[in-house]
Amino acid sequence: MTSIQEHKQEHKIETPNEKQNRHKAMEALKVLNTLKEGFKTPPKAMEYFYDLFENVYCNHTALHHDKVKVGTMCIQIPSEIIYALDGVPIRLCNGFYTDDEIGSDFLPQKACPLVKASVGHLASKNLTDKPDMIYSPTTCDQKTKAGSIIEGFGYDVVDVDFPRTKESEISREFFRRSIREFSVDLSQKMGKKLTKKNLRSSISKIGYAQSLYHQISEFRKNKIVPILGNDMFLVTNAFFFDKIDNWIEAAEVLVKELEQRVKDEVHAAGKVSPRIVYTGSPPIFPNYKIPLIIEDSDAIIVADETCSSNRMFNDRVAVDEWFVNDMLDSLADKYLKACTCPVFSKNDDRIRRIIELVRSHNADGVIYQAFAGCTVYELEQRSVLEAMEREGISILYIESDYSPSQHGQLSTRVEAFVESLKIKNRNKR
Amino acid sequence: MLSKLKRLINNMNLIRIRFWIQLISFVLFVYGGYFAIYLGSKLPIFACPYNGKSAGACFLIPLQHQLSMPVQILLGGAGIAVIFGILTFLFWFIFLNKAWCGYVCPFGTFQDWLTLLRKQIGIRYSTYTQHQFEKLSKIKYILLAIVILVPLLIGVGALGGEWSAAFCQICPARIISPTFGGDFSQWSIDFSTKTSMVLTAIGMIFAGLFFIGSFVKKRFFCFFCPMSALHYIFSKFSFVQLRKDGSKCTRCGDCYAVCDMQIKDIADDVISTEILRDDCILCLKCVAACPEDDALHFDILKLRAFSSTKQGFEKRMGIAKPKGDADDKHTRA
Ligand code: SF4
Ligand code: SF4
Ligand code: SF4
Ligand code: SF4
Ligand code: SF4
Repeated sequence: MTSIQEHKQEHKIETPNEKQNRHKAMEALKVLNTLKEGFKTPPKAMEYFYDLFENVYCNHTALHHDKVKVGTMCIQIPSEIIYALDGVPIRLCNGFYTDDEIGSDFLPQKACPLVKASVGHLASKNLTDKPDMIYSPTTCDQKTKAGSIIEGFGYDVVDVDFPRTKESEISREFFRRSIREFSVDLSQKMGKKLTKKNLRSSISKIGYAQSLYHQISEFRKNKIVPILGNDMFLVTNAFFFDKIDNWIEAAEVLVKELEQRVKDEVHAAGKVSPRIVYTGSPPIFPNYKIPLIIEDSDAIIVADETCSSNRMFNDRVAVDEWFVNDMLDSLADKYLKACTCPVFSKNDDRIRRIIELVRSHNADGVIYQAFAGCTVYELEQRSVLEAMEREGISILYIESDYSPSQHGQLSTRVEAFVESLKIKNRNKR
Repeated sequence: MLSKLKRLINNMNLIRIRFWIQLISFVLFVYGGYFAIYLGSKLPIFACPYNGKSAGACFLIPLQHQLSMPVQILLGGAGIAVIFGILTFLFWFIFLNKAWCGYVCPFGTFQDWLTLLRKQIGIRYSTYTQHQFEKLSKIKYILLAIVILVPLLIGVGALGGEWSAAFCQICPARIISPTFGGDFSQWSIDFSTKTSMVLTAIGMIFAGLFFIGSFVKKRFFCFFCPMSALHYIFSKFSFVQLRKDGSKCTRCGDCYAVCDMQIKDIADDVISTEILRDDCILCLKCVAACPEDDALHFDILKLRAFSSTKQGFEKRMGIAKPKGDADDKHTRA
């Protein structure tokens, strides 16, 4: 950490911001180093992502000085629209324990760590790529409230109405209108018009980025899985803030390399490592606490059902007539209809999705993490557990937070679960 | 080899292929008479015989005539003719199911062309609300009842001869189809009897509504078409079926969003495997727009002839590697 030495030399007293940055850099580096060194050789193409995270979170390099930065509090704000208007979407979900602690001053102790960390990050005003405006979809209660707390810090925050039932036609109409309003608001702020051309090309661009994700997911269905789940989380998390063209290029390189690794039979984990589908509260860099414990315990995450990864990339936009309004409606549908977020009244789609992922990726078990304080995921725990039992799928439920403590206890539980899967597999054979 | 062919089919540009099939069918069914083609009068489409050059005719006209025969005759030998008629209709229908509507019916095709025209002008389509949809889509059963009950009432003598082929009198296809053959004579009201006057006047109104409706709403008339209702009764018997694998469906609604007939079940029903609904025109746009491998498929005798695939979806939606705009590519951090 060069910054520490510099300070010592100059005998300068560290400012709160500098201290925050130093702590965050430590958190980030710890995870990055584990990913780089703690496992069998990661794909070379991952270097790009390791460097990216190091640059942004340790060296505080800004990526987007030349563009308007549009902060989003959740995945339900269509990035296609932001790109079409020549802005950069920055997803503000945060995974730093340092920021979680700052956020604790603004939210109840029992609140979700992700929300606390996001609020803490914005409260510190210490941002590398500071958003010029923020759109906050009213998804879970805590995110909804966080929006107005953040507004109190002087940010321009706009609520984007999000329905809590998705089966009904009313909700569909409601969200379509909501997205139209969002696009009008953003277009006014950006002083740019949405046109058939710019919207269509950004739908195509994001669609292409998605197709890369889909290709990688295909490899993970193989017997030989060429990439760790943790590396995958890094790739998808990078989509939150990276320059889209660079991301696409790096993901393409990764796809090529993974193809080769499959041919060369390079397995990212061991031959008998149980295959896990990961679901629940989203792992956001650097809070890869549970995923790291899982893959440290000789299991491999082959798929996930979280909003920081699979949910963000899986669903696609289909348009019949390429008019601006038609595209907007289709976008709204994509972000609502297929979404498996636990905030919705019914949980069936999420359960179906998890089962489908277990089947298609030939997984041995499911690990379900809920952040302490994340009511919606905690509430769904039961129904998911019951459904898995019905299907004969092994599942482990874990509650966690961002604190570096409880590591020992958590890993004991995960290890025991992984061991039980191994025994099951052995008996099957 | 087979898998290559399969991929080729699943990746096809359905819209273009469908356009050409529709165009060829249209020419055949509107002008086929010039080439001495005649496929009989039991076709499961609105190929209206009022257009003298049609290469085949709509089943509803013989059906109405036969059913209006006096009861004794109908219960006697003529009943056989009715059954034979239905069997011939079924024979045609079995091969294509409702794809007759999506690919062959000239009256359906004409609606698609009005849609094309609207698109060219740059006007967006309108839709019904779910509530309106549910009510409106029942009308076709009322019309089917007119097709069947009115002739029967004539047969028992409860209605007079001026009610003969009552549905044809109000059918907009009667007025519009001959127009393509250069015959404008149907654009008139029949003043011979009061009933005919009323019925043909309704027909004129329907024809007018048809133009306006089909311009703003995709496949406007098909929602009300009694032929479609008749199809539905037999659709289970067809060799070709639209099927769904709910476990692969994410309920993303892409299929629903592109469906001209606003069929909500196509996306939301994850239980039924037989997903063909009564309004469906089997255009297969939903299969083409579904991004999940094999979630929707079109089967011929249980074999998958056309399946939804990720790759096909990407091709059709024009999802491609963005062409590098130089100024967008900054150096890597
Ligand atoms: S983890 Fe739970 S509480 Fe936190 S933002 Fe997500 S849904 Fe809301
Ligand atoms: S539903 Fe439409 S396409 Fe089918 S027969 Fe009727 S008019 Fe023709
Ligand atoms: S008028 Fe209509 S119902 Fe009658 S034969 Fe012509 S298309 Fe068929
Ligand atoms: S497009 Fe496919 S995945 Fe989406 S709702 Fe329809 S059938 Fe399901
Ligand atoms: S359900 Fe599919 S095949 Fe039927 S009308 Fe709709 S898009 Fe066409």
